Order: sequence, then structure tokens, then C-alpha cells
Amino acid sequence: MAHSEPAGEEEEEHHGSPWPVIIAIGMGVGYVGIVSASVPMLLVGLVIFAGGAGGWIHQDMQRPSSAFYGLATAVESKFPRVSARKLGMWLFLATEIMFFSAIIGSSFTLRLRTGTPGLPTFGGPWATPNQILNVPLTGLNTFILICSSLTMVEALAAIERDDKVKHRFFLLATLLLGITFLSIQAFEYQKLYFGEGLTFTHAPLGSGVNPLYGPTFYAQTGVHGSHVTAGVLALAYVTRKAFKGGFTKQNHEAVELVGLYWHFVDVVWIFLFTIVYLV
Amino acid sequence: MATQAPALGETLRRRPYIPVFVTLAVVTGLELAITTPGYFPVLEHTFRIVLLVIMSTIKASLVVAYYMHLRYEPRWLALIPLAGLALVAVLVAALTATVAH
Repeated sequence: MAHSEPAGEEEEEHHGSPWPVIIAIGMGVGYVGIVSASVPMLLVGLVIFAGGAGGWIHQDMQRPSSAFYGLATAVESKFPRVSARKLGMWLFLATEIMFFSAIIGSSFTLRLRTGTPGLPTFGGPWATPNQILNVPLTGLNTFILICSSLTMVEALAAIERDDKVKHRFFLLATLLLGITFLSIQAFEYQKLYFGEGLTFTHAPLGSGVNPLYGPTFYAQTGVHGSHVTAGVLALAYVTRKAFKGGFTKQNHEAVELVGLYWHFVDVVWIFLFTIVYLV
Repeated sequence: MATQAPALGETLRRRPYIPVFVTLAVVTGLELAITTPGYFPVLEHTFRIVLLVIMSTIKASLVVAYYMHLRYEPRWLALIPLAGLALVAVLVAALTATVAH
């Protein structure tokens, strides 16, 4: 990356790293594997990707966050007070808005087209709230995710006050809450799939529910769950770095960026909970 | 042009993280209450859906504004998620037109 040197900072080291390039190569190979339906190529791509990510994290763990990215060194530009990395994260989140909208929109279209009595494409009614899904349990899970958003923002506020003890405590709490959310979702999936018989192709026997109810449910909540998993991995990284003393009052932008992603995952869940479970 | 985060310590102390959390929890409780069988049976189906959409929008807006700090960022940054939402509006309009036929 080419940066102008921050005013008043000693440019003591090079900020470049070869690992992002390796990650990009891995993603490229994996993508070719997907579009050419080649599982071996996909696996090779995933291995290169995982190796690149591991190498980058290992390299990053060796030293504290670069002073260049500290809050006190925001770059003079036409876009005041927003660093390139935060801008990049917001752009990424804008693409995520479109991604989730496509998943939710297609599911809702299927619901309207095949779940509305009287239409020639009618394939059975959609399940009502509480008919198949455990709404109170998911309500609890929603509350857990909201709690994790609070602990995440408190972790950021703590390091901005230079309170490292609370910073570590809140990051660890966020990580544990995220793992709890995923555990409850895994438990729910297990109950629904093997207990209730809500599969990727069938609704529970005798329920009369539209067979598309299952696949749309798993597609929407599964894609969100994979995002939570990525968030938990990112949280594990910043938590580990925080416990190694990697963040200071001036240099902690990684925490803020992981926080942005984590809150976004919470926002998506707020809508998914309403659309999938309550409507 | 500001090169420092503006009066960071002062701003942080005034950020209403706990009230936002309480609001999120209360609204989630209300959402569960109006969809639990036997509670609020007088609510008509369509009205209940409209109410749920409004409540989830309020919750999401609070998280974006306060927890994602969009309220404290320069205004232009909000254009990025709004651009994403504009494309979502196009998608919704297209899907609605498709379903209507």
C-alpha cells in the first residue's frame, strides 16, 4: 500500500506484507474452482486462502498495531476523519447489504409466489410463527446478539479511554456471546432437521407446509450464521491481540473495524428475525 | 479540517450505549409479545406486520447510528450504506413487479 507519511510520526518500518497477495491468489483459484465445478481446484484455493490468512494473522500478531492507523494520525484529505481502512469496511458493508437483500428478496418472492392460495404456482401455505420454529428460543438468541453488540461497543469505548482491563473483558465477553449465539443456532438446526423433519427439500410430515419453507429458512439463517462465524473468528483475532497488549489508546482501529462488521451482522439479524420468525 | 478525532474523551462520555441497549431489548420483547399466540389478539394481521417492520427498522437504525457510530461520523459516510439501500429499493421494486404478474 502506498501511503503518504503521517505528520510527526517516525516511519520506522515498511507496512507492506506479501500475505494479502497470497490470500487473493487463493480466492482467485477457489473462485475458478466454483465456476468450473472443480472440487479439487476449490480445495486448493481454500488451502492457499487459509495459509495466507494464517500467515497474515501470525505476522500481525508479532507487533502492536501500526501507529500509522491510530486515531491521532488521520490523513488529511477531502474525506476528513475517516481512514482508508474504515472507508473500505463501509464499502464492503454496502456490498453486504446488497448480498443479503438478494437472499432475503428471493426467499420472500418464493414465499409470495408459492405460498399465496389461489395462485397457479401455489404449493402449500407458509408456516405460521411458532408452528415449526422455536420463536422464544430465537428471541433469547436475538437478545444475546444485542448484548454482544453492547459489549463490542463498550470494548471500543474502553480502549479509547485507555482502560485495557475493561477492553479485554468486553472483547472476551463479545467473543463468548458470539459463540453462544452460534451454539444455540446449531442446536436449533439439529432439532429442526432431525427432530422436526424440516429439511432442505421437505417440510415436516403431515404439517402441510410448503416444501420451499425449509430451503429458504436454511438459506437465510445459514448465510447469516456463516457471517457470524466469520465475525467470531475476527473477534478471536482481536481478543488474542488485545491480551498480548496489541492495542493502545492511539492504535486500535482493528477493534473498530471488527466492531463495524459485528454490528452489521446484528443489524441483518434484526431484520431476519422479523422476516423469518415473526411474519 | 480536523486531523484529530474531535474532543474524543468528551464525546465518548456522552454516547448513550446503555439507553440504546435497553431500547433494543424492550422493542425485541414487544416484537415477541405481539407475535405470541394469545397476546394482543386484537391486532389485525397486516397491521401487526407493519408494526413489526417499523420496530425492526427502529432497532436497526439505533444500532447503525450509535453502535456503528454513523451519527458521529462525517455526513458523507452515510452515503455509502444509503447507496446500497438505494439498489435494494430497485430490487424490491423489481421483485414486487414480478410477483404482481
